[in-house]
Amino acid sequence: MSHAARFAVEAAIVGAGKTAFGAFPDKDLRALAVEAGKKALADAKCGPADIQAFYLGNFAGPEFTGQSHLAPYISTALGMTGIPATRFENACASGGSAFFHAFIAVASGIYDCVMVLGVEKMTSQTTGRVTEILCGAGDWSGEMRAGSTFPSLFGMIARRHMHEFGTTREHLSAVAVKNHENGALNPDAQMRKVITLEQAMNGRPIAEPLNLYDCSLISDGAAAVILCAADRARRFSDKPISVLGIAQASDYVALDRKQDITTFPAVQLAGRNAYAMAGLGPNEIDFAELHDCFTIAELIAMEDLGFAGRGKAGFFTAEGGTRRNGAKPVNASGGLKSKGHPVGATGVAQLCDVVQQLRGEAGERQLRRNSVGLAQNLGGSGASCVVTILGQE
Amino acid sequence: MRAGIVYTETVVHAAAERYAAEAPFQVAIVDLREGGRMTARITGDRVAIGDSVIEIENADSSPDAAPLFRKS
Repeated sequence: MSHAARFAVEAAIVGAGKTAFGAFPDKDLRALAVEAGKKALADAKCGPADIQAFYLGNFAGPEFTGQSHLAPYISTALGMTGIPATRFENACASGGSAFFHAFIAVASGIYDCVMVLGVEKMTSQTTGRVTEILCGAGDWSGEMRAGSTFPSLFGMIARRHMHEFGTTREHLSAVAVKNHENGALNPDAQMRKVITLEQAMNGRPIAEPLNLYDCSLISDGAAAVILCAADRARRFSDKPISVLGIAQASDYVALDRKQDITTFPAVQLAGRNAYAMAGLGPNEIDFAELHDCFTIAELIAMEDLGFAGRGKAGFFTAEGGTRRNGAKPVNASGGLKSKGHPVGATGVAQLCDVVQQLRGEAGERQLRRNSVGLAQNLGGSGASCVVTILGQE
Repeated sequence: MRAGIVYTETVVHAAAERYAAEAPFQVAIVDLREGGRMTARITGDRVAIGDSVIEIENADSSPDAAPLFRKS
């Protein structure tokens, strides 16, 4: 029995809204969240009274800002009082996890219409402090005690991937160059700057072999979507976007507990289940937003989701296969690398970017083949993953 | 003391706040001879994948101290 057959109701995204991503000293966490939430409501031409439950994705609001109890703190500011409001935390996959659980509720017939919102406010802390807070997504009793950081975990992953498959420094930089090329055309991106391969290969070292240009950004931002039962979707939107497949999976938090660090079993599992639910395979996905927290992560996601053979994603990327005019466009938004990575917002922002492409509203970044898009949201060094496949109704 | 082979490694330049004064430093995941893997701080010569390493005593005896290995 397919995964899809277990659900009573089909679900569709009828509204999407994001803030720009960047460093916004004059906007606190709640102001960012409210801005995105209002945009999503306006996009769906609905009001707070239409929303029956609120799902928040946020990684470390309490650590970054001191504020806990964030879900009702935000939902009430959006004028939604009384409804269930809950925060989901799965490191960088917090937004995707909130969406997954919202989908379960709508697809089960419990609610007709819910809001999923992701937010993170990071730039009020120093880079050293941000790095330390992000370490909380790893294992403090082992890898972090040894002095690892997130860039260093992915540095060790990259080193091993290079060792086993011949992935090169140029391959990693080709990811950064391509994502900056896309992000330069995205008005909401944090770093709208084209970079050369030479620049990308010679950035300041962060955690070898990764340099500055291999790492995503420290960002403030929020994103929201309105998810509703498909049979009601036309009430809210002329272009509802169907959830064709979705799955979440998990794995060890500590990198040194994994047998093979050049692949992420949670990505493979979530991908397999999402494909099964949609009745589609990797060749039928027109484009994807993949979780490029580091350049190597985009390459491994491509391999784990079947867009490239094992060890081949670097070669495919260097040949231009993932550019907007390539065989499999990846991160036409600019990705986390150029668009920005407000951790808890990222999973929801990816969905907004896929929705924009499917509606044909991506402006200069618009892809020609835009019937089916995939979003992959990764937490930690692969301990959480959500894969969502969206399509035109 | 424990010994093993380097499975992968990195040199950390941008460290978390509490370790910032020690950067740059090398971190490796070590395949232990006794079985299992651990993430350790490397001291002395820089190591590469496949190098043999051996644990040395960490002068810092606090429970938070990292396991320390060097090339053998």
